[in-house]
Amino acid sequence: MNSVDRAGPASAKNASGDALRVDGIAKRFGGLRVFDPISFELAEDEILGVIGPNGAGKTTLINVMCGMIEPSAGRVHLGQRNITGLPFHSVSQLGVVRSFQQTNTFSKVSVEENLFRAKRFCSKRSGPDLGLDDLLHDFELAGHLDEPSDKLPYGLQKMLGLIMVLATRPRFILMDEPAAGLERRERIRVDRFIEHARKVLRCGILIVEHDMDLVKRLCPTIVVLESGRLLAKGPPVEVLARPDVINAYLGDSAD
Amino acid sequence: MVSDRRRDFKLDLWGIVLLVPLLISPFVTKDVLISSLTYQISIGVAATMGIYVMLRMGLLSFSVPSFMTIGGYAAAISATAGWTDIFFLTAISFVAPALVAAPLGAIVLRLKGIYFIFITFIFNEILQILLFETPDLTGGANGIPGVPPATLFGHELAAQPQLVAVTAALAIVAALITFVVTHRFRAEFTSIEENETLAESLGVALWKYRTIGFIASAGVSGLAGFALVNMLSTAHPSLFASWSVNSYIAYAFVGGRGTLLGVAVGSALLIAVTNYFSAFANLSAGLFGVLLIVVMMLAPSGIVGSFVKLADYIRSRSVTRSAPSIKEKQNEFG
Repeated sequence: MNSVDRAGPASAKNASGDALRVDGIAKRFGGLRVFDPISFELAEDEILGVIGPNGAGKTTLINVMCGMIEPSAGRVHLGQRNITGLPFHSVSQLGVVRSFQQTNTFSKVSVEENLFRAKRFCSKRSGPDLGLDDLLHDFELAGHLDEPSDKLPYGLQKMLGLIMVLATRPRFILMDEPAAGLERRERIRVDRFIEHARKVLRCGILIVEHDMDLVKRLCPTIVVLESGRLLAKGPPVEVLARPDVINAYLGDSAD
Repeated sequence: MVSDRRRDFKLDLWGIVLLVPLLISPFVTKDVLISSLTYQISIGVAATMGIYVMLRMGLLSFSVPSFMTIGGYAAAISATAGWTDIFFLTAISFVAPALVAAPLGAIVLRLKGIYFIFITFIFNEILQILLFETPDLTGGANGIPGVPPATLFGHELAAQPQLVAVTAALAIVAALITFVVTHRFRAEFTSIEENETLAESLGVALWKYRTIGFIASAGVSGLAGFALVNMLSTAHPSLFASWSVNSYIAYAFVGGRGTLLGVAVGSALLIAVTNYFSAFANLSAGLFGVLLIVVMMLAPSGIVGSFVKLADYIRSRSVTRSAPSIKEKQNEFG
């Protein structure tokens, strides 16, 4: 099922027309090279998939883009503004908000309190009704509002984390493996979340993911990272058919 | 224990209400023991507020004695110079440590865990040395004896009941400031305590709220210092010894570090018990230690925290009992 419009950069029309641009960023930890200089752009209202084998540097890429860690070289621009080196919270306040691979909520407090906090922390941004009640209902969280979030099943905790990101009214969402750990029947909720986020906010979404079905469903464009370099970029059907991409995932048959 | 905004608000209000009898007691009884307990509890509560504010962010600060020193000496120096108005002394004893805390926070709040504890403890020791090395300002080893009592609209508050009442009033002011700060920034503080990476990812500036908390903690500690100096009419380095912070931490943890009520209950209980144990001379410290171990083993979330947990448990049991079972639901819908 594909309930999400597969919007590409060309269709990205929004109020500001800003894009999240990565210009030649590289990351090294001492002598360990995570990735070489890579560049790409994520327009508002665009969905961009990032795939690659384990250790390719996908999560580090998100960490650099959201300000959790500084790049060793290169710049990250939000529209005309250079946001490289800005603190994590400042990047978030500018509207570039990330989700986490693992469940990540305020575990001791109720679902309702988690949502209250997410809304409060972004109170400077205002806009149309986010329709969070619809999402809570669709994800079966509406009946758990008074429960501590750590008592929820894993899948619901992950969806709560995503709704909290949406509650901050982001301009760009950086999703780190949103389907990781979800049962196959639960993964359709990621589709529903993205459909909703684009409908109410028309935000740009970057998805790091291993689930190729989900990537193919949602992303009109993907980039492939392999051993810290940008191996390919383009539509999933073309990119995933390339021999070098297949080799990156499965290894060379001659090896 | 599930954090709950409305319930925590009520418990914090009860913590302040519990302090009101301290303000009244000097005027209704002349009992020496009650008078002594009243001012000790008042000073203990005010000082423990300094611990409590930082604990709301998951930071254990040992710098309370140093900020008490700054607040106490600022009040003592001002009063000795003739500025004895209680409102002025209250303000100076709050503002002086808060001003020191602002730049200090920029350095120490980068640290976490044991490193933060260590540096805040060291700050106490540095300040003690400074007191001895600046006799012209602080009186050095002699301190500042004969500090004039505070005045209210020109009237000296020198009688024993008045001194005790001033001490209790300062504890209430400290509790009110703590209440306002911890409720205004409750979501930010508790988010930093529970999951600072997530808080930051949602836009919370950690340094900003830690600095606000540190400044508030310093200010209320300064009020405790003023209360102590005004009560004893002297400012001396020994009043603000580094080890005294252990008692304030114990008050917060034994009472329950999650609410102001916990601070009030912990301070009142442990100070009363310490006075009782003092009758056993050499055994008193040992008995106090045993009490701490027993309470922390039986009620790791403190006395108030344990009662809240018990209430949560009873409520969840009653909800489970009143909710219809699946079989009942099936029967209901045929």
